Amino acid sequence: MAVLFHRLFVANRGEVAARIARSCDRLGITPVFGVSEADRDAPYTEGREVVVLGPGRSDQSYLDPVRLVQAARQSRCTALHPGWGFLAENPAFATLAETHGVTFLGPPAHVMHLMGKKTPAKRAMGEAGLRLIEGSDGILTGPEEARAVADEVGYPVLLKAESGGGGRGMRIARSAGEVVAAYAEAQAESLAAFADDRLYLERLITGGRHVEIQLLADRYGHVVHLGERDCTVQRNHQKLIEESPAPGLDPEERAATLAAAVSATRAIGYVGAGTMEFLLDRDGKLRFMEMNTRLQVEHCVTEERARVRTEQGLVPLDLVEQQILVGAGHRLAFTQDDVVLEGHAIEARVNAEDPRKGFQPAPGRIERWHVPAGEGIRVDTHVADGYRVPPFYDSLLAKVIARGATRDEAAERLAAALEGLVCDGLPTTAPMHVAILRNADFRANAYDTRAIPGWPPAEAG
Amino acid sequence: MSAPDPLVARRVGRGDGTVALLAPTGGLWREGPPLGALVTPGAALGRLEVLGELRPLVAPPGAAGLVVARDESGLARAPVDYESVLVVLDPDAAGSVAADVVAGTEAMAAEGLVFRAPLAGRFYARPSPDEPPFIEAGQEITAGATVCLLEVMKTFHRVSYGGAGLPERGRVARVIAQDGDDLDEGAPILALES
Repeated sequence: MAVLFHRLFVANRGEVAARIARSCDRLGITPVFGVSEADRDAPYTEGREVVVLGPGRSDQSYLDPVRLVQAARQSRCTALHPGWGFLAENPAFATLAETHGVTFLGPPAHVMHLMGKKTPAKRAMGEAGLRLIEGSDGILTGPEEARAVADEVGYPVLLKAESGGGGRGMRIARSAGEVVAAYAEAQAESLAAFADDRLYLERLITGGRHVEIQLLADRYGHVVHLGERDCTVQRNHQKLIEESPAPGLDPEERAATLAAAVSATRAIGYVGAGTMEFLLDRDGKLRFMEMNTRLQVEHCVTEERARVRTEQGLVPLDLVEQQILVGAGHRLAFTQDDVVLEGHAIEARVNAEDPRKGFQPAPGRIERWHVPAGEGIRVDTHVADGYRVPPFYDSLLAKVIARGATRDEAAERLAAALEGLVCDGLPTTAPMHVAILRNADFRANAYDTRAIPGWPPAEAG
Repeated sequence: MSAPDPLVARRVGRGDGTVALLAPTGGLWREGPPLGALVTPGAALGRLEVLGELRPLVAPPGAAGLVVARDESGLARAPVDYESVLVVLDPDAAGSVAADVVAGTEAMAAEGLVFRAPLAGRFYARPSPDEPPFIEAGQEITAGATVCLLEVMKTFHRVSYGGAGLPERGRVARVIAQDGDDLDEGAPILALES
């Protein structure tokens, strides 16, 4: 057996913590959960080693790098998995862990730092051969340059804050006359929100689709892609449904972008699992948006399709296991030619939110919880009967993933499984997912990021 | 170099009248007060090592009593979680005085660094008549080390070194109190080299 870590610290909670522990169990590694007080008695920690980090609020628990690394040290863990969200893309956290002798399961801090900055990341990816959204070459010098660039790329354009996020510090200019005002507003908002008034400009692409590529790299320059995912069904930039392969993507465009993404990943010295996000415009071209330097929530969609050809035949691929192996210094045990992507997979994120009341989050106690099994159905969850959803964190309860030979088969299997989901005590987004999966526009692939196909439901009569 | 800010333990009353002092954050805990030690507000509770930095840990306001239970790992550096119980104090075991004693250890400029009696009682420098004293002149002393026994109303209290204004580690210049002396609260016990 390969030389690995004996004890691995899980610097996260809930569903991803349970997910990481599953891979640890398979590899014979002891996972240790860092938990807040709000999570210490959660069902997913049962029978596990835990270190209590701090109170429920995340700034004194899951967002405190010192508490996390100290907890990893005192529980004698030699590796740390950051999961997603919280500090997963924080280069200072990665550095702190490595400084104290704890291997951070993610890319090197300098790569994370580069990809965390908007225009340097764009430039690096452009140089590595990826198609970008047309716009300014880096930071704008002022409204005059913004006007000149906008005239060149064509209206409407988007003025974006270099330090922005969550939709803040962005303004649309629909014509030349609007550029100066949009520039001033975006700058003021960015300065107030992020203490940084630097802006860049991109052509505004409306009605596109969100496509992303799963990548995996070892420390020795070996990089493979594991296909793409389509995450177009979103609400306020929160993904609701993800699937693979991306329906309607031109095979040539897919092949060219996958190859370019692999060489870009190698060019920046990336290590571990990562995802490049693209916008698919109406001309069918994929344009690079950003790279997520971590495991993604929707990685299961890829796992449900990916198989690796070995001497024992086709075996499933576990992305967390690969992250751990690569983090321990192993080479990828397979090449691109050994990766086989089969069938169609669709994932629904079941959140504790009421889709009929404006997606209001609903913390509270789940009296009874059941998700039916079925052919091609996978359920990733940390929830069990009696689980109390804490008010401090995100509302993800479970991911239900269906596999099928075709997109329709996967969609129908997923809808049937979600119809049988029982969550007594709290509303969930499952009814919305069923409506989307059975919606004619969704099935016909006639939608984009602007609206959710099949939701809200059309008024009867 | 300035000393790191002290961490203040958290205090939680327990149903049986005792008080638990809890770790304010995770870390490696060392030099905690032994069983029987008297803890007063602001008194040293040892140090907490967080990513290599040694942070002094002190008792919070309202925490007074004798240590009747403590972390039982027996390790010199015990890993503790957030809100792990470090020590359990019994306020009654220290007699009625303990509740309102102020840590009598304020160092006075005129006399240099002085460790004072936290409460009134008869001073015993050694654990029993035929054993060596706890502390002798010239010896190095660290927070949490036993200084003496004080007999208060027929009960013996173990007094440990530490408190506001005193260094975590120091050298004893002189043992001021004599074996068998009746000390008032705040009477000097040790003079330290400054």
